[in-house]
Order: sequence, then structure tokens, then C-alpha cells
Amino acid sequence: MRVVDGPVAPQLAVLAGGGLVAGLGLLARGFNGYRTATRVGDIATSRIATIAAGEVRVSGIVEPAEVLLVSALQSAPCVYYRATVREGGDDGDDEVLAEERAIGFRVRDASGDLRVFPRSARWDVPPRFEDRSSALEGDPAGLRWRTGPGYTVAEPDREAQIAALLGLDSPVPSLAPPLAVRSRRGDRRYAEARIEPGDTVTVIGRAVPFAQLADPAEADVAAGNHLPADDPEVAANIAEARAAGLLLGDPEQAWGNAAIPGFGIGRPVREPELDTEATRPALAAPEEAARTARTFEIPPERLVLAAGPGTRLLIALGSPTSVATRNRSTFLIGLLGAVLAIGSAAAFAVAVGAGIAT
Amino acid sequence: MTVGPLVALFAVGLLLLIVGFLAFETYNAVVALRLRIDKAWANIDVALKQRHDMLPALVSAVRGVMQFEQDVLEEVARARAAYAPAEPIPAQAVVSDATSSAIRSLFAVVEQYPELGSHRNVLDLQDEIERIEGVIADRRELYNDQVFQHNARIAQVPALFLAPVFRWRPREFFAAHPEELARPDTELRPA
Repeated sequence: MRVVDGPVAPQLAVLAGGGLVAGLGLLARGFNGYRTATRVGDIATSRIATIAAGEVRVSGIVEPAEVLLVSALQSAPCVYYRATVREGGDDGDDEVLAEERAIGFRVRDASGDLRVFPRSARWDVPPRFEDRSSALEGDPAGLRWRTGPGYTVAEPDREAQIAALLGLDSPVPSLAPPLAVRSRRGDRRYAEARIEPGDTVTVIGRAVPFAQLADPAEADVAAGNHLPADDPEVAANIAEARAAGLLLGDPEQAWGNAAIPGFGIGRPVREPELDTEATRPALAAPEEAARTARTFEIPPERLVLAAGPGTRLLIALGSPTSVATRNRSTFLIGLLGAVLAIGSAAAFAVAVGAGIAT
Repeated sequence: MTVGPLVALFAVGLLLLIVGFLAFETYNAVVALRLRIDKAWANIDVALKQRHDMLPALVSAVRGVMQFEQDVLEEVARARAAYAPAEPIPAQAVVSDATSSAIRSLFAVVEQYPELGSHRNVLDLQDEIERIEGVIADRRELYNDQVFQHNARIAQVPALFLAPVFRWRPREFFAAHPEELARPDTELRPA
């Protein structure tokens, strides 16, 4: 075997080592893609209207449930987003923002709709926004930091819809997030993946009656400081409060007007208790009230889609065919990664051999 | 130092890893497919049983009014009596198709009796049976799709190499064989 000159060998060894790690990483990612492609491709799509309990695959259009999230980098209303900002400098690459949030939503096909509770779901969503900023070029055109609340109403009222149609921005922008200040270290790379209302999704999970969900209130996930109710300390606090009679049994006792469907985020379905001087909101029309009730009250026997024992919830952007194709491509790239790893291993061996020879 | 054999060993190891992964995943995938087919069939069976249990109630509800439509009622009764869950799937498909056809004929005749329109019981039964017919049709489609996935999978690489080892055979669709439709002795048997 040809021996490389001494000074080249360490650099080659580093490069080859990097190639080896990258190749094996690609291969591992490819294996994961193969698994996903197999899972998505091997389950037949159920029609929502006649769905049976158990593991199912449904595919359809995303519709909002009660509220929507506002994405971090582009302020887009969505049911899921994953935003990352990486900052490059002389001393390496840092992740300065990594945020992933999801909220319950509906999937609609030609036959009906189904609620999806995304707790502990695995998301297969490619980035929708990828760009970079630099000291010279400034921020990318598509970057629109979220400056207001993280949630928005799923069905905006008439005034909000008119403002949106006229292209009017929110009149009172709140403070920009700290990350909106331009980086002093170097370039920033932005990436945001999200699922918006109207997108086609494929969901594989367990169809279970709503009453059998372990804790529907916990269905939404939030990375970061989210504390689940099964956290031992939280559970102990709840038990203690319940024992002391501090917890009320009725939502209306506990929340007052907030327990009235539609109150505060639309038109309430019945008269709220207000001060005499307060402006009384218009009540929802019967059809609107029915729609609101349907949104907020899920019958216990209604099948919903969630993760279950032995069935991990997978939510993927796109139709089943496109999801399977995307993941098969990942597998093929993984095979190329294996080739890269073998080539890199050969180069590494040559470099190490050269190092020993010198 | 000879590094060639080490690299070759690494390449072979990686290749074995990929082949092992594919074999492992394929085996698991086919086993899961077979279980899904069994589950899809069980779901059809539940709906067939529901329909079988509801038909006597419908027939007895309309019998009094439809005294002159005995042929239609007997056709429904014959189709119901032919229900045999232990039969092979294609034979059950013949019976299911015949039952659906008999039910459609019955509903068409019921339309001609306006007095039945005021019978809440008849309307409820009719709605429920129509719902179950829809469920059977959808689940049949799902089952056949699942069988297709299985049959296609075991006919393709890499499962093709594993199929003889594990004796994987194509599963039958929930559809009547052409010869069963043509054979006169598969006519529905009276109870």
C-alpha cells in the first residue's frame, strides 16, 4: 500500500475520521428512515368514519382544534413547530435556540374527522424554512420573529379576519425576543419545520375511546419547563390539595366564565356572569354554539388518535406515499454513508500507517 | 503495517450489519403485516356478525306489512342462514355479497310501502343496517389493502429470500373466487 508523506498524514487522519463518523451517522439515520418507511408503507389507510379501535393509519388534512400555536421564527399559525437557531463563531457552532411545540389537532378525510393527541409523538417533518444571516447581508427575508403570544385562536373573529384580509399587522407589537438582536459572533443558521392547518399529514397511532386516554389534559407537549401531572411531586401536590378539599369538583366552580365554551376566544354559548357595567359579548348562534360544543366537548366513547402501549404515535407531513418515499431516500443516503465510512476507514488506515511509518 | 485486511474486515462487518438489519426488519415487518391482516379480518367478522344479528329484527318488523313480498324476505332469510364464520374467506365473501344484495332488494321494496316510513323502528333498523353495510365495505377495502401489502412484500426482495425459510404464503383477499361465483352448488343454502 502507498505510504503518504508524514506532514499530510495527521490531516488525512482527521479528515478520514470525520468521514467515518459522518458515514456511520448517515447509515444510522438511514436505518431509522427504513424503519419509518416500512411502518408507513405497510399499514393500510383507514377511513375515519368507519375506523376501528387499535393501531391505524389515517391520512388527511390538518384542521385546528381549540387553538393554534404561533411558530417561533416565522410567526405562522401551526399545530406543530420545531425551530432551531445555530450561531457560528471562531470557537465552533452553538445552538442558541431549540424549541419544539405541538398541540392537539384534527385530521379530516373525505369521510370525517378525528382528534389527534400528540403527546410523545415522533414527528417526521422536513424544514419549511432554512436560511442564514450574516453580518454583511443581515437577516433573511423570511425571518419573522414571534413577538406576541405563543398561541392564537383557531377561528379568528370577524374583525381579525378583516384585518388579515386588508393586510394590517398587529397594531401593538410587543417586545422582540432577545434572539432578534443581531449576532455579534458570526453567521446564524435558521431552520423551522412545522405543520399548518390545511397541510396533508399521515398519522399512525392507536385509535382509543377518548375516555381511555390516560390524561387528556396532558395531551399537548411542550419541550422545556413542562411538568406532567404524573410527575411525583406534582401528583403529590394534587393529592394533598384534593384531600384538603381545595380542589373544586366542577369546572364552572373552578373557572367561572372561563368554563363556558367560546368565552374569551369567540362567542360564548351561554350568558356569562359579568359586572353590570361590562360590555356583554354577543352569544353564539345555534350553529356556532354546536360547533363550539363539538370543539370543546369530546364524548367519552369517541375514538381519538394517540400513542398507546406498544404503538408509538408517528405524525408525518405529507401523504403516505410521499412519507415513505422521503424515508426511503434517507435509507439510500444511509447506504451511501456506509460507502463513505468504508472509504474513510481505508483513508484513516493509510494515514495511521503513514504516521507509524514516519 | 498492512492495513488492507483491517479495512476489508470493516467493510465486511458493515455489509453484514446492513444485511442483518434488513433481514431483521423484514422479518418483523412481515410478521406485523400478518397480524394486521388477522386483526383486519377480525374487524370484518365483528361487522358481519352485527349484520347477521340485526337481520331477523328487520325482517320481523316489515313482515306484517309486506305480506306480498315473501320472495324478498325469503332471500334475506336464506342469505342470513348461509352465514358461516368458519368457512374460507372467499366463500364468506360470496355469502356477504349475496346478503348485501338481498338487503338492497329489501330496502328497495320497503321504499314502495309508504306506511313503513312512519314506523320509527323500521327506519332505525334500516339506518343501522345501512351503517353496518358501510362499515363492512370500508373494512373489506382495508383488509384487501393489507393483504395486498403483505402479498407484495413477500414477493419482493429482500422478503422473497426469507419467504421459503419461514413458509410465508400469499393471503386470500376478501373477494369471491370467479369459480365460486360460477359454481351452482355455492348457491345459498336454506337454513
